[in-house]
Amino acid sequence: MTKRLALEGIRVVDLSWVRAGPWATRILATLGADVIKVEWPQAGTVHHQDRFTTVGMPEDAVPGLEGNHWFVEKHMDKRSVTMNLRDERARELLRRLLAESDAVLENFTSRVMQRWGLGYEQMRELNPGLVYVSMSGLGHIGRDHPYRTFGPSAQALSGLTFLSGLPDRPPAGWGWSYLDDTGGIFGAIAILSALRQRRRTGRGQHIDVSQAGLGIGLAGSAILDATVNGRPARREGFPPGNRAHWPGTPLLHNYRGAIAAPHNAYRSAGGGYNDWCAIVCRDDADWVALQEVMGSPEWAAEARFESLEGRLEHQQELDERIEAWTLTLGKYELAERCQAAGVPAMPVQSNENRVEHDPQIRQRGLFSYHPHPVLGERGYQNLPWQSAVNETTARRIAPFAGEHNREVLCGMLGLSEEELRAGYDDGWLWPPSEPLEPYLLDEAAEAGTEEAS
Amino acid sequence: MSEDRPFADLRVVELGGEASRWCGRLLAEMGADVIKVEPPGGSDERNVGPYYRDEPHRERSLSFWHYNCGKRGVTLDLEDPRGAELFRTLVGGADVLLETTRPGTLPALGLGPEELRGADPELIYCSLSPFGQEGPWRDYVATDLVHMAAGGQMASSGYDEDEAPDAPPIAPGGGNAWHIGGHYALLAIATALLDREFTGEGQFLDVSIHDACALTTEMAVPIYFATGRELRRQTGRHAAWSLPRPRTQFQCADGKYVNAMFNQRLSPPQLRSIGEWLDQYGAADDLLDERFAEQQQIVEEQNHISDVLRDFFPNVPAEEAYRGAQERSHAWGAVRSLDEILPDPHWEDRGYWQEIEHPELGERFRYSGAWGIWSETALGTTRRAPLTGEHNAEVYGALGLDAEEIEALRRDGVI
Repeated sequence: MTKRLALEGIRVVDLSWVRAGPWATRILATLGADVIKVEWPQAGTVHHQDRFTTVGMPEDAVPGLEGNHWFVEKHMDKRSVTMNLRDERARELLRRLLAESDAVLENFTSRVMQRWGLGYEQMRELNPGLVYVSMSGLGHIGRDHPYRTFGPSAQALSGLTFLSGLPDRPPAGWGWSYLDDTGGIFGAIAILSALRQRRRTGRGQHIDVSQAGLGIGLAGSAILDATVNGRPARREGFPPGNRAHWPGTPLLHNYRGAIAAPHNAYRSAGGGYNDWCAIVCRDDADWVALQEVMGSPEWAAEARFESLEGRLEHQQELDERIEAWTLTLGKYELAERCQAAGVPAMPVQSNENRVEHDPQIRQRGLFSYHPHPVLGERGYQNLPWQSAVNETTARRIAPFAGEHNREVLCGMLGLSEEELRAGYDDGWLWPPSEPLEPYLLDEAAEAGTEEAS
Repeated sequence: MSEDRPFADLRVVELGGEASRWCGRLLAEMGADVIKVEPPGGSDERNVGPYYRDEPHRERSLSFWHYNCGKRGVTLDLEDPRGAELFRTLVGGADVLLETTRPGTLPALGLGPEELRGADPELIYCSLSPFGQEGPWRDYVATDLVHMAAGGQMASSGYDEDEAPDAPPIAPGGGNAWHIGGHYALLAIATALLDREFTGEGQFLDVSIHDACALTTEMAVPIYFATGRELRRQTGRHAAWSLPRPRTQFQCADGKYVNAMFNQRLSPPQLRSIGEWLDQYGAADDLLDERFAEQQQIVEEQNHISDVLRDFFPNVPAEEAYRGAQERSHAWGAVRSLDEILPDPHWEDRGYWQEIEHPELGERFRYSGAWGIWSETALGTTRRAPLTGEHNAEVYGALGLDAEEIEALRRDGVI
């Protein structure tokens, strides 16, 4: 049965780049919105980098605008038009597109849109129902709005980086741009909920997302421990690595749920880089169950490990003993045995493990494979929920640069084929640095021109 | 709080604990009337610290406060037939049910999606579970840590091998597996709400926290699809799929760290602005050398540039390093602890903090604020987390129960 597209008929203009913005619009596109990416793949510019970068480039990649898997992943299900927004003619065309659209999203630095004469006031005049989402590290409002961030620096400023690591070591941080992933989700939520509200009020609005601000709330109860109890996070034993509490330090809560032991990642058999298994005993009953899973060794039955207090006091030894056992089994086997006894345990899964081994992800179809004329058959990500009625899986590979110029610029905005061709020739609808691909033109008309000449 | 918030017309019933509570708070801050259903006596979440003034007390868990502000709270025993019936009535008046019971639990009580949606087709029934409602891992139990192991957060986070050869993969703190699941549950609910606008129908949503986590490591999975490579963990920066990348986290004069992310795209003018800045401290080394007018030279000498930065930062405190870099348009940031964020006036400018009254203590406290500034409304809440069963009389009364009936349910331990 074909599922319906929840956002069918909703048009979103996508001015975004890098990661946070494209993820927001990718989510909306996969949910069925008509997302039109406005891009300018001029060699040597940062926007060109978005398509043509070594990040996510297969080693056997074909050089060019279409060989980057990471770009394709971020732009599944979207359409693409090319125009140079530094040119007033392009901005005029964009204004016409905005007048025909429901929402627009960008993640430039804070004053770019205003410089282009496309601040919210101006866009609202064009289209009072337009929902405008801006996303940046510190937001468009507030004294430091011109500051620039990447995911990692937004994470540093929000307090999230500090929450990750071993005590007495530098912060380990987050090994990816968590606030770009998360910013993208909220960009999509902003558009969905503001469009629903528009049905009641008839008006759009501007929603300004600060990714670092978003991050502050994600530190959990750490924030109230600071504001209510005045407790500094720079303290002995914090952050406690993977433990709920670091042995030999004052017994304070560390913002990851109840204090528990064992609560750690343990090496498993195989000796590989990701041969680790996380095991947690939430309470004494879990500990009793884990003892049995371990084969009821004598050491584990000792009275000093019986209570949580005892296990915390002897946590170092407890963890060493447990690891001596976990080293004898593979990480999946460990998790399976613990889970069979009701003890929370899961393998540390690498990217490869999640794709090739994880039976749950496979059954739920989180990843699926699509053919691409340049990249061949490769995997892409879907959305992490299932609905009986709405589509949540990607359907169409990312557009080639400007693939929908004719459809959108001519078909929707009324440019003639001649005007389109002139825009290419003048270098504001197609970058002069790139060869003019056949799909950019009306093939039949072009063929006719050749015959005539 | 303004009544024009986007979800001000909605009622949400939240039946869940640590997995659903963040999503519930976000819904409440968007204006929904969120009614949290706890077992009689209250949720186990109330036994989790830190506590107000560090004194363990079921009504003074800061963790419970943080995640449940903005909601009303009732207590209810679903295993009692009268409790189940009351729950059915409660959900019958709601737009959204957000629940995190183990798969199969509610259907066994006659409260599954078929029953409740059959009676009320407009209902959005969102089941948020560790691994989803079907599949070989469906019945596995999880905590924040084990989710981060399976989801890939840990495989990407940790230390350079030469810096800490024995360090494990690290699960970042703060309870973020629950947050990630909650964010996607909120997205799924927002989608279903818009869909309902067009179709008049609700739906059943099966949200998996594991799927959500597995999708929240940015490039990790796409890099596998593109290159077939596993990632290597690196201190304070993205996990790498090829050679170790230059260090970008440095210790400053005050012992704190700064994130000074740069890569091979650092341009000659950008590097020059760094060189001129460092030169004021006599620490520019050779960064102003004319060979760096060539991009290729920057690409080749990234490790050297990183070493010069490492030697420079001990000249300045972390906040000064942050401001100094930003004044020169470098996207760098101080690695702040939570308490160090509080005095930054930028957040005051954004009206970020929420002051929430606790009348039971006669005090008001500063909470983290909403995720975005809306031009036509203001997200947020003025309501502290509910005390155990605080709204039983109010909520059950509105469902048509009189004081005597409510008292009888209380006496029998149903609420």
